[in-house]
Amino acid sequence: MLVGIPLGLLVGRFVLFRRLFSPIIEILRPLCPIAWIPFALAIFKTYTVAEVFGVRYTTSIFGHIQLGMLFVIFYGGFFPIFLNTVHGVKSIKDIFIESALLLGANKNQLFRKVIVPSSLPTILTGLRVGLGVAWMVIIAAEMLPGSDAGIGYLIMFSYELAEMDILIASMILIGAVGALLSYFVKLIADRTSFWQAKER
Amino acid sequence: MVSLRVDGIKKTFVGEHRDEVQAVSDLSFYCEEGEFLCIVGPTGCGKTTLLRLIAGLDKPSAGTISVDDRIIEGLNDDATLVFQQYSLFPWRNVINNVSFSLEMRHVEKKKRFREAQYYIDLVGLEGFEKAFPHELSGGMQQRVAIARALAYNPKLLLLDEPFGALDERTRHRLQEELLNLWQDQKKTIVFVTHNIDEAVFLASRILIMRDRPGSIIEEIAVDLPRPRDRRSKAFLDLHISIREMLEKILAGAQ
Repeated sequence: MLVGIPLGLLVGRFVLFRRLFSPIIEILRPLCPIAWIPFALAIFKTYTVAEVFGVRYTTSIFGHIQLGMLFVIFYGGFFPIFLNTVHGVKSIKDIFIESALLLGANKNQLFRKVIVPSSLPTILTGLRVGLGVAWMVIIAAEMLPGSDAGIGYLIMFSYELAEMDILIASMILIGAVGALLSYFVKLIADRTSFWQAKER
Repeated sequence: MVSLRVDGIKKTFVGEHRDEVQAVSDLSFYCEEGEFLCIVGPTGCGKTTLLRLIAGLDKPSAGTISVDDRIIEGLNDDATLVFQQYSLFPWRNVINNVSFSLEMRHVEKKKRFREAQYYIDLVGLEGFEKAFPHELSGGMQQRVAIARALAYNPKLLLLDEPFGALDERTRHRLQEELLNLWQDQKKTIVFVTHNIDEAVFLASRILIMRDRPGSIIEEIAVDLPRPRDRRSKAFLDLHISIREMLEKILAGAQ
């Protein structure tokens, strides 16, 4: 989100950035985030956030969050957010930009007062999709070897113990949490982009 | 108030097959300060192109445009344009749309709302300050667009068929309101339309354009007394003679 939106704004607005980034992005985009997991494990080993900050033994949640996982989550969430931002910026009607310029907006104001608000609904859609993908990727990452916690780990664990009830309960939980996350972003989106659906 | 001089401008676009299309060619006219100039011509004769050139949104391929004898380069700061299509910012309510130009000039919120309110009242939309564009009818949206343009306080107001999409009654009412504004606010106005009745009703002078390439072929000073009566003989005579001119242009094009 922190990287995808600003980068998307730049790429959507400036041709130079678009030329610079689009070849890289077109190659990286079809690469499934899950395919990155082994690579991420190799690079980041199984370092956890707690270890990076010098805390060796801890039972807190940071002791279970691995850097490789964070990387993969970032990767999964990045593209929907980034691509939607680019799309939002590129699909602004010229008439809004020209009106703003004729009413005395400078480059900076044009960006803050016209380009960002008018692409906000599309950005939020990207955020919603990105959050969904990130959630899926987390679960997948937790299922892989090297993981020692998380609901994905729980699924694999209960599979090995043939505990179908826990397995199914976990799946229901994953669905519910995913839906809830999406719902929260939708709440924000509805408040800020009410004008879009009704625009004639 | 400012005067406007358009001197021998030409605008060519590169067409689909890399051929050059001349939108306007060798077009010159002078508009005195405080004048209400109407430009009438058939659809596609380059009227919109002309306005965009005057606003500084596009650059002429040749010739110059000057405001009060200053040649404009880049955006024309003295002018603002009311577009034919709805151009209000859909994410801003009426008062925030109208006060947009004041916000760009960093006018403090209280003061800019007070000023915006003045223009909202002027176009008869009091009570709709908090409404969003999608909640307004077409006529109301165009009024907001005019109020927004006026709040910028341009010395030169450019209007591109602003009432084209409205029904006749609303159009007539807005024409009268625009005339009142013009008389109160002392602005130089360039108004583009293909509606002859509209031009005869509003203009102090009418320029008639032909198409392919767009250029001015006739200039008519309208000295009918105001308020003008659409049913008076002089009004109808003028209307008919302009219609005949335009028909001649269209016949010549075929």
